[in-house]
Parts: sequence; structure tokens; C-alpha cells
Amino acid sequence: MKKRFKLTDGLVLVLMLCLFVGFMLLPCLNTLTSIFNVKAADGTRDPLAVIRFFLAGNMKNYVFNSLKLAVCLVITVNIVGISIVLLTEYFDIKGAGLLRAGYLTTLIYSGVALVTGFLFLYDRDGILTTLLRNAFPNLDPSWFSGFPAVLFTMTFACTSNHMLFLRNAIRGIDYNTVEAARNLGAKPFKVLRTVVLPTLIPTLFSLTVMTFITGLCAMSAPTLIGYDAINPEIVRLAGSSAADESFPQARAALLSIILAFFTILLLTILTHYERKGHYLSVSKTKAKLVKQKIENPVANVLAHIYAYALWVVYMMPVVLIFIFSFQSYTAIKLKKIDFSNWTLINYFGTHDFEYTTPRGKVKQSVGAISGLFSNESALGGIKVSFILSVIAAALACVLVVLACNYIFKHRKTGTLVESLLLFPWLLPTILICYSYRIYFNSDKVWYTFGQNLYRGPNVWFLLILAYTVVKLPFAVRMIKASFYSIDSELEDAARNLGSGPLRTFLRVKLPIILPSVLAVFALCFNQLFSEYDMSATFHSSYATTYAMVIKSMTETDQRAYYNLNALGRQCASTVFIMCVSGLILYLVYGVGARDLGERLERRARREQRIARIKAKFAK
Amino acid sequence: MIHLNGIAVKFGDFTALKDINVHVKEGEFFTFLGPSGCGKTTTLRTITGFIEPAAGTVVVKDRDITHVSIEDRNIGIVFQSYALFPTMTVYDNIAFGLKVKKLKKPEIDRKVREIAKKVDLTDEQLKKAVSQLSGGQQQRVAIARALVTGPAIICMDEPLSNLDAKLRVQLRNELKKMQKEFGITTIYVTHDQEEALTLSDRIAVFNLGRIEQIGTPNEVYNRSATEFVCNFIGDINRLSPGVAAELAKLSPEVDPAKHNYIRLERVHVGTEAKPGQLALAGTVESREYYGLYIKYYIRTADGVLKVIEKNDGVNIYDEGQQVTVVLDPKDIMAYAPEA
Repeated sequence: MKKRFKLTDGLVLVLMLCLFVGFMLLPCLNTLTSIFNVKAADGTRDPLAVIRFFLAGNMKNYVFNSLKLAVCLVITVNIVGISIVLLTEYFDIKGAGLLRAGYLTTLIYSGVALVTGFLFLYDRDGILTTLLRNAFPNLDPSWFSGFPAVLFTMTFACTSNHMLFLRNAIRGIDYNTVEAARNLGAKPFKVLRTVVLPTLIPTLFSLTVMTFITGLCAMSAPTLIGYDAINPEIVRLAGSSAADESFPQARAALLSIILAFFTILLLTILTHYERKGHYLSVSKTKAKLVKQKIENPVANVLAHIYAYALWVVYMMPVVLIFIFSFQSYTAIKLKKIDFSNWTLINYFGTHDFEYTTPRGKVKQSVGAISGLFSNESALGGIKVSFILSVIAAALACVLVVLACNYIFKHRKTGTLVESLLLFPWLLPTILICYSYRIYFNSDKVWYTFGQNLYRGPNVWFLLILAYTVVKLPFAVRMIKASFYSIDSELEDAARNLGSGPLRTFLRVKLPIILPSVLAVFALCFNQLFSEYDMSATFHSSYATTYAMVIKSMTETDQRAYYNLNALGRQCASTVFIMCVSGLILYLVYGVGARDLGERLERRARREQRIARIKAKFAK
Repeated sequence: MIHLNGIAVKFGDFTALKDINVHVKEGEFFTFLGPSGCGKTTTLRTITGFIEPAAGTVVVKDRDITHVSIEDRNIGIVFQSYALFPTMTVYDNIAFGLKVKKLKKPEIDRKVREIAKKVDLTDEQLKKAVSQLSGGQQQRVAIARALVTGPAIICMDEPLSNLDAKLRVQLRNELKKMQKEFGITTIYVTHDQEEALTLSDRIAVFNLGRIEQIGTPNEVYNRSATEFVCNFIGDINRLSPGVAAELAKLSPEVDPAKHNYIRLERVHVGTEAKPGQLALAGTVESREYYGLYIKYYIRTADGVLKVIEKNDGVNIYDEGQQVTVVLDPKDIMAYAPEA
């Protein structure tokens, strides 16, 4: 029977095309062409001016620096990432559960929260720096800066993908192959090198490419620690004016296109490699991996020391931030834990602060110490981020559910729709945000009804759009996978029982994919809520996001005796973000993964427990 | 009751069904049997309305429903996968069709409990998720869901194919019992000939988008209309040219120019030939021991005849033993070779 092309399907197709052309293609093309739209001093067009400028000046350094960071990061992240996975999953290390929990902490805080956390320890007046300087007075207080500091911070920030994907890969290894190698006389490390690691190569390759891209597009660490990478430079140029330097916008455009070029190149290689089918063979009679004991006692001790040293690096910021978030302003200032004095002031309430002026007068700064949830700017940032993230995550989910419903109905045009939605994956987020900032900063874009979307509070629309577009590829991959679990006979069954398409969608199909959709929503929200890179690119005072507020806490002016406990609030913020992320990950992977049967069983058990307790009280 | 008149279905250039004519009587258990890809499911889906035929009409109770929408046909269906809604409880699955019809809550409740009782589902099971039930229980839910709206006809698309062998036989019997109780006209699709023979009142054998034969199980098995039917259903001996020629010498009823077939259980070893029966000399080439019966491969003239003998402990022949093979020429099914 011929499938009828319904009006609703047509609308979905048009919506997706509009989204692509209007909010992906045109803004990015505008960025690309603006490189060649430079006017020389006499007013004539000089299309190659930026390229010449690039080749002659120090702009190359930014690209070089970013590449250097990406290359080094690939090495360090793989070393640390492979170690932590092997230490928790492959070798028999005492306390592997505890180690794993520590290594996984970067899952619940990332970006600005993580970088400020590291700075809290290692910065000029960081806890660790203070401690070290007490022991070694000759230590340079700004020892943690520049390239090594960025590399160090990002190395530990980027291992979460290894913990997720490499761990799965190593768990998928057929233990019989390890036993076979041992049986043939191979020593444990030889087995590791010749049998185990080769099977992990496909996963490692993907992780390497992703790490490289992360390094290249790094934003928060270079910005906060201070390193001349591409992204911070683009943001700086975007806010600069032609009065200060030559064609800043065109230069920003060029840099973002260079980034896009590298990203597209790498992702093409990755996709090509994955298509070649380097997947692990899935044997049905797989034997579960048994952890390998390190026989050599010296090696065993060294491995334990190494494992716990890494654990300390992972855990220290988390633990200290948690502790200091309950410490008073003085304790944080002195970087000394005061065990007799715990406070919630960094979270709730306000205090006045009394101080003596140089002339000996005692003055009072009203409300100088305030908690995260009592501080206007912090609260404002949380509100902005919360609203933007909820709307954008929901929008991405709704769009993708509509699109997937379409994709599964119409094979040919469906593929087109899918590629349109996957498109932003090829672009660095900064290119998208920068393009939005420039392209929509005009009232001549006809489809925004003559509104300048970058001006004033309109920027909210722009941020929501950017957030949504950037999250589309992820949402498509996850939600499309869940659509495969809908048996086509279910739809037939519902129709046979008299159900119309809308009811079938709402009552039969949607409940099946809903857990996945909610998971996608939660994960998108999680990432957007503490997102820094995009809002920093927009850099609008009308949409100061939570991460921007956290970042600004590192730059408080303490001489004015105002906003004194910014650092304490920053600790509280990080703890808050960790709680939110932890809760969401628990909901997604713990609660959300249960099917109706499990939920009913749990409810029955709960009711039994309540009945037992009631019976006890009745006695 | 149901008349399919000259149904043809096309998928693009491919003709899936051509000139399908079937008449199913009220209350009948009617089976569409055939190998995969023969068009039996397509025919079923044409009846339920998932497929619109390129030609022909579907008439139910004198009403032409060829172009009536799926939900207005009043035909229930049980799917191969059962297609139970995984996010609903058993109760909600059964109640789904009634809710669509906007029945009042107490009425829905009464109907659901009534049908659940009939298919042996307890109140406890109604509260469960579908995934918490066994394969057999899931099947009963699927049947209850299809029956609760009171359809005139119920269609079943290979409902036993996902189950293990033992459960399949058990559910087959339950299915037959239920159909008798409800007295509902049933159209059943399967590729399993044993299932078709045990369950059906009548069978339509499909091949390559056409119907080869419609008849009772006995007719289809013992008087197969075409060579395809006799080959597809049950195990059979095709008589080699030498054997056929030898038999033709003994009886004018055998025509060696045709393709001659005989069922395994219609050939006997080591018995005396009764009047009208023919005897051939042969050697036991090998035997397979099944417990209930023994299957012998007996070399005669230029071919091997398969023979099944009840394992009654009387006649057991060893490999290499000389035996006489006896058969009745009336049991031979002969087909003119296709041009």
C-alpha cells in the first residue's frame, strides 16, 4: 500500500529544513564569507587581507598553541585514562571500588567548575601552593600557570570518556583469550600488550580523536588559567572593535573556520575508520574477565602507589572544595581548615563585615558575605542557566522526537533529515555561537522579523537556539536508537484496536521511548546547566549564565570589602553542581533504566515493607 | 462469512499475490499454510486492512470492506510477536481497545475481567507488566486483547513461532480449545504443517503468491492437488523411474511417465501382499531408530524408498537384510510433469 504523505509529516520536513538553513547553514556561511569581506584603508575590498595578516603576524601562534595542547593532551589523557581503567578493571588492586569512585568524579563536575576547583588548590594563593610555600619558601607562587597547568588540568578533566567507553570495552573482552595466552606461556604483561590492548584499539582510536578535538577547542581551562589558545582568542576578537585593531571580526571568523576545518577532517577520519568495521567480535560464550594479580611484589607495590597517587589528584579538589564550602571567610582566606567553626554561610544567608580603614575608622560593609542562594548575581546566574537549559534541552528532545518519527516513516527524506540534524556535530560549538553572534546582530535578517536577536534580552532566544542546535546531534543518536526498540507490529496492533495515529503515538510509542527521551533531556540539561564556552562566546550581560558567574567569582575585588566570600561561594557552587549532576546521573542510569516490570516489583516490595512496619506499630 | 475475490497485491513491481479466492465459513478454523515469502501473511494483512489490494474485493458478511479503514473492520489480530504494549500492565493492554471505543470505566472493567477469566488469567496477573509473564501467558494476553472488543473474526499470524517446541504443542491444544469455546471464525497463518494439520478445519496451501489447494487436512495430506503440496506437507517418497517402471509392469494404475509419490506410512516392509497390493524386492540400506517408530531406507531397483514401521517389537530388520516392500497403487499420487 502506498504511504500517504500527511500534512503533519510535511510540516516536520519543512521545520527541519528551516532549522538547518536558517540556524545552521546561513550563519556559518556568513562567517566563512566574512573572512574575505575585509575592506582596506581606502575602502576597497581586499579579500586576502586576513590571510596575509595571518601568515605574517602572531595569529599563527594561537593555532600552534592549540595544536600543541591537543597533541600533548592526547598523550597525557591516554596515559592517565588507560592507567585508571586498567587499575580499576584489569589488575587486582586493593580498593578498586573506592578508586573507581574517585576516578569517576570528573563525571559530575566539568568545565568551569572543574577548572576553578583545580585553581582553588594550585593557584597563586591556592591551598596546595600555600602549603608548599610553607615547606619550600623558594617556590614560585605562580608555578601553576601557562601551558603545563592547562595540560595538567585538562588531562584529568578529559579522562571521563575513558572511564565510560574504555571500561565497557575492557569488560567486553573474552577472558578465555587471556587464559589461552597464559596457557601458551605468555607472562601477564605480555598478555596485556599482545592480547588485551590490541582489542581496545578501535575504542582508543575514537577516544584519541575526541580528545584531540577537545584539546583543540579548549575554552575554560585556557581562559581561566591563561593560555593563548584559539577559542579564548576568538572570544576576545569577537568583542573587540575595528578601532582597536585591524579587522578583529574577520580574524575571529578565520580562526573559527580553521577550527572547523580540523574538526571536520578528524571526524571524517574517525567515521571512515569506524565504517571499516573495526568492531569487537561479540562471542556468545564470553567468559567474564577475572582481575589479574600482579605477581611481582615490587611492581605490585608500585602499581598500588601509582593508583592511589592518581586517586589523590582526582579526589583532592573534590574533598577540599566540599570541606571549604562549609568554612568561614577567614578560613578560606587563610586556606586553613578551622575544625571548630563550620558554617552554611557560603550556601545560605548574608553577613555584614566589619573592618578598620587605614585611618583607624571602623566601618561596616552591609551584606559583604553572602551565600550562593542569597547572593543576587549567583542566584541570577542559576536562574538564567536553569531556564535556558530546561527550554533548550526540552526543545532539542521535542524536535528530535518529531524528526525520528519522520525518519522511521520516510526512509529517503528521513536520511536527509537525519543528516541535517547531525550537521552541528561537524562544527566546533564556538563556530556556531560566534556565527550566531555576528549574523543575528543585525535587524536585516528577514526571518527574525526584523529583530536583532543579539541586542538586549533578545539574546536569550539566541542562546536557547544555540544550546538546542548544539545538542541536536547527541539527541538524534540516542533517541533514534530508542526508536529501533519499537516493534512495528505494535503500531499495527494499536491501529487494529481502533487507535488513531495521535493516540498510537502518545499512548504506545511515546511511553516506549520516553525513558530514553527523559535521559537525553536530563543529560543535555546537565551539560548545559554548567556550560561556559557558549555563553562566554555570546558574552552578553543580558544572559549571564551560572558558569559565567562562577568564573567571575575568581576575579573579586576584595579591597572594596564587598562580595568577600566569593571563593567560598565558588566552592558551594561546585558542590551544588556536583549534587545536581550526581542526582541526574542517578536518575538516568539508576531509576530511568528500569522497565515497567521492575518498577512494579519495586512498588510491591515497598508496599510489603510499609505493611510490615504498620503491622509492627499496630502491635 | 469471509470472501476473498480475485485479490492481487503489488509492492512496486513485485506481485506478492495474484488471484486469491478464498471462502471462509462462519465459525471455521481456517489456516493459510506455506513456506516463508509465499504470501500468506500478506493475505492476512489484506483482510485486516494493513494492505490495500491492487485488485479484488474483501467481503465479510456480505459487506464489501476492501476500502474500509483498519479500525472499522471489527477484525481482531494476534501478532507473531504478540505486539503487547511493553509500557502498560496486562490489564491496560487488554483494556486498550475498549478505551479507544470510549466505553465507561465499569464496563471496561467488567469486560476485561470476563475475558481474562475465559483465557485463564488471574487478577494477580492482570496487575503485572507484560514482561513479567511467561511466553504462554503473554499469548493468552494477546488473544484476550484481540477478543475483548468482540470482533467477528480473529486473525493469528504465526502466534506460536516464537516459542520452544514443548510449549508450542501445549499452546496449540489450548488454542484449539479456546477457539471451540468462543466459536469465533479464525484465520491462522503458519509455515508449520503439523500445526496446520492438527488445528485446522480447512487449509489453504500457498506458494509463490498463489493458492495451490484448499481442503481439509485429510484432503491436503492424502489427496494433494499439486506436486508442490504433496512435497511441502509431510515426508514423502518420490518413486524413481526404475521403481515406477517395475510397478507399472505389475499394475496398469501406475503411469511411469508421471511423477509418482507415495507417503512413507503407506509403504510396508515384510508383510504379505494383499489382493490389489504390489510387492517389490529390496535390501535394507540403513535404519533410523526413533523409539516410537523406525525409519528404514530400502534400496529397490534404482532408488531408495523410505518406510516407517511402528516399533512394536515384532519386525526389526538389520542393515543388509533382504526384504519385501509392499504398497497399494491407490496410495500413489501422480502428477503430470510440468512442461
